[in-house]
Amino acid sequence: MTLTSSQALAAARPVIQGLTALNLIYALGLCALLGSSFFIAGWPARPLGFDMVHAHPLLGQGLRAIVVVGIAGAAIVHTILRRLLAIVGTVKVGDPFILDNARRLEAIAWRVLALEGLRLIVAAIAALVWEAGRIAPFSFAPWLAVLLLFVLAGVFAHGARLREDLEGTV
Amino acid sequence: MAILVRLDERLHERRMTLTELAARIDITVANLSILKTGKAKAIRFSTLEAICIALACQPGDLLEFRREAG
Repeated sequence: MTLTSSQALAAARPVIQGLTALNLIYALGLCALLGSSFFIAGWPARPLGFDMVHAHPLLGQGLRAIVVVGIAGAAIVHTILRRLLAIVGTVKVGDPFILDNARRLEAIAWRVLALEGLRLIVAAIAALVWEAGRIAPFSFAPWLAVLLLFVLAGVFAHGARLREDLEGTV
Repeated sequence: MAILVRLDERLHERRMTLTELAARIDITVANLSILKTGKAKAIRFSTLEAICIALACQPGDLLEFRREAG
């Protein structure tokens, strides 16, 4: 293991725990925003400074829908971070090359894919009620990450099976 | 498992203990015990060769195939 990767592993646990807390705060903030949007007079024109004369009539509902998607995204991120923490935990225990980690990586890959699906939904809503192109519907890096995660999950699963075989070899 | 390991019988014939065999072929007693009790999933040719040399026998003397019922 290189020095950089071992340092990254050592820092991973507190970083993931910090990100989990930040994500929770983010989700609570979105929930508060969604709840308060029903009680704030002149939503969204007054608090967010929209020019409602030229705005789409469904702008308020569209923005609420985006907030709901954001909350769903935060829930997905939470499950990703929990799995990542479990993977880092297995490294600490000393046995990371197990089928459970392969399954965790595959689950993370599906969740990152779901997050990209949510991004498409947000971009579509924003284009409809706000401004086309305001939120980019496509980014290359996350799709590459999804591919990488699926490949890594496959490699992990194969490696874990090979090791299982070797463990029973005399 | 349908493959039976006849290591115990061969050791008995040669008046040799598992520990002695382990020392001769440079394999841990724990691993040899796994093989003896039929818990091993596979055996390396190098291990088989070493046991055959130490016990002066053939692979067929050590392994037996028995069809499992059902």
